[in-house]
Amino acid sequence: MVKMILIAIVAPLLAFSIGLSFMMIKRKVVARIQRRYGPTIIQPIFDIMKLLLKEDNISHGVIFSLGPIIAIAGSILSVFFIPIAGLNMLTGSGDLIALLYIMAIGSLGMALGAGDSANPNASIGISRALTLMFGYDLPLVIIVISVALQYHTTDLSAIVAAQANGHWALWSLPLSAIVGFVVTYGALGEHPFDIITAPHEVATGPMVEYGGKHLGFLMINHAFHLYVEIALFVDLFLGGASNIFIFYIKMFAVFFIMMMFDEVLPRFKIDDAVRFFWKWPTVVALISLIIVLVK
Amino acid sequence: MNILLEIMLATPFIGGLLAFIGGKVHRWVRYAVAVTFSFLTLIEALVYYNATIKGVVWGSLFGSKLVLQTNPISWLFLFIVTAMSFLIVIFSIGDMEEDKIKLDSYYMQLLFVEGAMVGIVLAGDLITFFMFWEIMSWTSYFLIIYGGKKSVAAGYKYIIMSIIGAYSMFIAIAMLYVKAHSLVYADVAATLAHSSATFVVWTVVLLGIGFFVKAAVMPLHTWLPDAHSEAPSPVSPLLSGVLIKMGAYGLFIVLYGFLSVQLAGNIMPSVFSTPILLYIIQWLAALSIVLATFLAIMQEDAKRLLAYSSISQIGYVVLGIATGTSLGVAGGLFHALNHAIFKGLLFLAVGAVIYRTGTRNLSDLGGLVKKMPYTFTALLLGIIALAGVPPLNGFVSKWMIYEALLQKKEVFLLIMAFIGSTGAFLYVYRLIHSIFLGQLPKKYENVKDVPILMQFPIWVLAVLTIVFGIFPGLAMNVIVKGMKLFGFKPIAYTLFGFPQGTAMGALKVINISAVLVVAFVAAWVLFLILSKSRKVSQYDNYAAGQVVTPELKYNYSFGFYMSFGRVIKSILKLGIERIYNYWVDAAKVFGDYYMRRVYTGNLETYNSYIVIVVTIAAVAILLGGKLW
Repeated sequence: MVKMILIAIVAPLLAFSIGLSFMMIKRKVVARIQRRYGPTIIQPIFDIMKLLLKEDNISHGVIFSLGPIIAIAGSILSVFFIPIAGLNMLTGSGDLIALLYIMAIGSLGMALGAGDSANPNASIGISRALTLMFGYDLPLVIIVISVALQYHTTDLSAIVAAQANGHWALWSLPLSAIVGFVVTYGALGEHPFDIITAPHEVATGPMVEYGGKHLGFLMINHAFHLYVEIALFVDLFLGGASNIFIFYIKMFAVFFIMMMFDEVLPRFKIDDAVRFFWKWPTVVALISLIIVLVK
Repeated sequence: MNILLEIMLATPFIGGLLAFIGGKVHRWVRYAVAVTFSFLTLIEALVYYNATIKGVVWGSLFGSKLVLQTNPISWLFLFIVTAMSFLIVIFSIGDMEEDKIKLDSYYMQLLFVEGAMVGIVLAGDLITFFMFWEIMSWTSYFLIIYGGKKSVAAGYKYIIMSIIGAYSMFIAIAMLYVKAHSLVYADVAATLAHSSATFVVWTVVLLGIGFFVKAAVMPLHTWLPDAHSEAPSPVSPLLSGVLIKMGAYGLFIVLYGFLSVQLAGNIMPSVFSTPILLYIIQWLAALSIVLATFLAIMQEDAKRLLAYSSISQIGYVVLGIATGTSLGVAGGLFHALNHAIFKGLLFLAVGAVIYRTGTRNLSDLGGLVKKMPYTFTALLLGIIALAGVPPLNGFVSKWMIYEALLQKKEVFLLIMAFIGSTGAFLYVYRLIHSIFLGQLPKKYENVKDVPILMQFPIWVLAVLTIVFGIFPGLAMNVIVKGMKLFGFKPIAYTLFGFPQGTAMGALKVINISAVLVVAFVAAWVLFLILSKSRKVSQYDNYAAGQVVTPELKYNYSFGFYMSFGRVIKSILKLGIERIYNYWVDAAKVFGDYYMRRVYTGNLETYNSYIVIVVTIAAVAILLGGKLW
């Protein structure tokens, strides 16, 4: 019992710290790519503290305030369904397919909140976010099906266990892994998929009216979001990990490669992004799926 | 106890007549009778929870016995029919404008539709089934055209397609009668077991056309978007939540009551270990899911959006039923129940909005969340359930269908089912955003939430989405027990979900919801500790320096997914309706050109016809009744 409560408290905190550390490193790496010195490494912590402690917060209504709260609740829920370093937590209560929908709770809550801000920029941002989600979901479900068929289970902890001793899905399903990387990348909304926030077009989209503690909550949620997406990729294709340090190294490796892409690409138009996802990633994912089926 | 079956069947019909007569006395008599009798039917239905009664003979026709029966599967649909009808009657009292003459017949027809559907699910032979099927079609037709104007055209389309479906079913029933001389389900099943594959396929296809018209499976769906959107607000949930389920029920009876997976597998080739007939049905269902989802995303009319979503969701039901595995069929049946609940809820909530604002055009609405918070909350629960997001009911049944398809390795169907679900996020968000979020138009500043009579049915359904979401075992108790009677292996389940082994993974919804609630409370507490937020008006908004005023339409609602529309442009251009219209035009040309040669409208021509016919008849009599 004590152990369970401990896990329930530690797991989200750990997820948050990992996500936060990625946010910190990203600021620095981006600066170096752009030949700047960049802010101090703990700048994101300062940012979050500053926002949370603001005295003046504005709210456009109850749903507006609930948005960020549901977003965080959804993210914390997802954390418990992703096995990390041998800890399976709640994987027995919901499998990979359930996880796909659990991960949507937070985003949809956030969408509600943004809609209530009564700003068309936010609405356009949500319209784009959902369209983009529809885009990357097609290749995503195909690779999820491939992995499930490869290991004859949808239980995420069993999938991780089957990849022990270096039998990573990356080696047995290389095409799916590549697509998985692209999809994770798209789900994080980095360039060229940053159409949702696109500051020059829709003034940060869904977040346009958010400030103060609300925006602080959204930054916290971003840290969770980074963790959830990348950890899922690591569990699916890089065999999870037996301890937290190796898990962190794997996640960091994935994130580092993403950062390299992030800073050198321009932005897609929204329909082009969907067309992109429905073309090459889908075709490659389907080829991989057919290979699994025939095998 | 068996006599109760006949009483239950008669209750709504008697109630309908009494409501009609009572309405002449006073409107409250009409309401009291309608509510009492629909409630009585519900109570009588609840008596038969999980009961199995076979062969209550109530008459005979053409030497075939007319039989009533019930089993847990029938009970599931009986529950959907009676519970939804009861709630819809209550909603109608609040919603329908007083119009003495029309309203009397409205309640009569409403109860007659209920009675007809009770008859369909209790039928134990095909004649009873077909009789009530036809009563259902006709009475629901009158409900659809209640509003007049555009709804007449929609009703026309509905009844024409229903008649085509009914003819098709009638041919199949006649074929079976000639072969079996009895239309009791058991005899039909026994006949089909010894029939040739051609005969079986023809029977199933002809019956299937009738069911698919009602269930609106593509390509026979074209009546649904018009009929569901033009019908009065309380009738739409009846059509969408209940009436189209009758098609699914019929399909289940034919596939597993008359045939069985083994039998079908013996007489026809199999694909992915599914008999090819079932496999084709699966593909039709999957195409319905995806195409209707695309169409729903592009709608500008709240009820039309929900109507297309119904085509998509009934696709899941049919897809589940057609999988032929215990898990898939259970998922399909469970989704039928869930869809009735959440789609009934959504149509009623949208009906409540129409009641207050008088429009269902999405881009005219907005910002109503502050004016109609209760309707908003209920509609929110409905869309979460529809989108298949845990912990509400739509998630569990969809999860079962996904897992069943995954077990069978029917990956392409599975991909389409997933896509339909993600697409649902798009259109449900469109629905809630355009009605309740965004800027509140000035003309709706004095809108209030709807009266309690309309709130009550909405909230009953909202609570049910939660109950069946967290306790799927409640529904599984009925479904698994019923499926055993149809020869399915029972699946393992618990009150809260499915243990490891039933599917390819486990599910325990109570844990998901509990952790979600705890996480929500934790985040909320942190939110409350921090300094309080100040409320601002809807015009206090970032507008790049512009000042937002009521005159400035500062809202994004029309063409919400326009950029996505560009992606699926080529798909949107497809239209099965064009093919039908081609045939309609051809029939018109035929009528105008050829029939006018015979029916000239000239009295002399008609007189000459009469002379010719009389002459021929006279000659025939003279020749001793023999013409050749």
